[in-house]
Amino acid sequence: MEEAMRLASGILVWMIALMVLAVVIFQAIKFILLAKDAGKEIGMAKHEINSALKTGAITAIGPSFAIIIVALSLIPFLGEALTLMRIGIIGSAPIESVGASLGANAYGTELGSAGFNTQAFTAVVWTLCLGGAGWLLFVALATKSMNKLEKKVINKNEKNKKIMMVVATAAMVAAFGNLASAEMVKGMEYIVAVLVASVSMFILTALADKLQRNWIREWSLGLSILVSLVVGYFII
Amino acid sequence: MAMREEEVGRAVSSTSNSGMEQFHARAHYWGRLTVWAALILTLSLPIVLSFFLGHHPGWNVILSAFLAYAGIVAVVWVLEPLMYYTILGVSGTYIGFLTGNVGNMCLPAAASAQNAIGVEPGTKKGEITATLAIGAASLVNKVFLIPMILVGALLVSRIPEHIQQVFPFILPAIFGGVLAQFAMKKPIYGVIGLVIGFVINLTALVVYMKMLLCIILTITICLFLEKINEAKASV
Repeated sequence: MEEAMRLASGILVWMIALMVLAVVIFQAIKFILLAKDAGKEIGMAKHEINSALKTGAITAIGPSFAIIIVALSLIPFLGEALTLMRIGIIGSAPIESVGASLGANAYGTELGSAGFNTQAFTAVVWTLCLGGAGWLLFVALATKSMNKLEKKVINKNEKNKKIMMVVATAAMVAAFGNLASAEMVKGMEYIVAVLVASVSMFILTALADKLQRNWIREWSLGLSILVSLVVGYFII
Repeated sequence: MAMREEEVGRAVSSTSNSGMEQFHARAHYWGRLTVWAALILTLSLPIVLSFFLGHHPGWNVILSAFLAYAGIVAVVWVLEPLMYYTILGVSGTYIGFLTGNVGNMCLPAAASAQNAIGVEPGTKKGEITATLAIGAASLVNKVFLIPMILVGALLVSRIPEHIQQVFPFILPAIFGGVLAQFAMKKPIYGVIGLVIGFVINLTALVVYMKMLLCIILTITICLFLEKINEAKASV
């Protein structure tokens, strides 16, 4: 176990983890610059571009905390470097922990047990990295085809463009309807958390409209999460 | 590399005057480049551990672990990018799946930004807004993640127990808040999404099937409703 953890925080593991992270950060910056240019060309105002960036940044604060909490639970088993690499890209924490225990089990041991040696750690790394490669491979290979298909559908006529908008909005609502419901079936406290955040969002958005203050809109999700957590604190 | 990108951009802009086409061409170029780079880097880690540092656990172990894992996630490799493409668009797909946490971070960021500016998903402006928001979200996420992983274990253990108890409510709060954003713009969509989501979550389906089913059903019903509305309007 100790040997495996020493390997997990070795210089090579750190180097590769940091390089992966560098790619992710580079990509985010590159895409922001590309989108800024394209935004100007299609007639987005400067304040709209800034507002999009600001809202994205603010909205990420709440989820980041949730992600960190789960990430921290993986560190004792995977070490800091691998956790950073797996959570920093594609990974979502619950799935990664399933993959990690499958890797350890295949070697005939368990995460965190005394028999978890360097080879077991390597088996876990193989499982997580091969498993995560699937998403990246599909995105690298298929996004262009999906784009072509979408263009074909949209370019046919004006009506298809409107249908695409309905599809996009409905897909978004469905995704969040499902995600929220999956939480709500966990218990009464979770239902309250969903409801309080929803009500806060209603109030904040109404307030933003009435006062004509855009910053309220930009902070609305962050504030709704906070209100919901405060209420949650008092009911448990 | 930069030159090739310029060429790609110019070749497209000469055949089409749309700034969006050029944006997509560049997004494909940089998106693929970065995703392939990440793919090669992640796979190099186990190879280095196995064959350069000599900790190879044996192919049998790797294969049986991978097959067990793939049995769970292989369907999702394909389904997730397909499902979220209509929402994320070209650039959002590249950036969202590389940075990860699509459902709990990228989508809320995109949706809130579109709401703040007042643009619809599925439009040009909507896609650019989503990309800007997801890019900013990804950077903020890394800014939090890196120091927290380095010193976080110490810090979090210092947070009093009774405050730690509210952490499980972060996710439901995010989802409830974003759902309300949509419900205010399209109340009927919101109700449909929530009702279908709730019913599906009472069943024992696997997680990704729940999501897929919910998206397909909601889209179908919303399209059907729009059609009825149109028919009414034209009468």
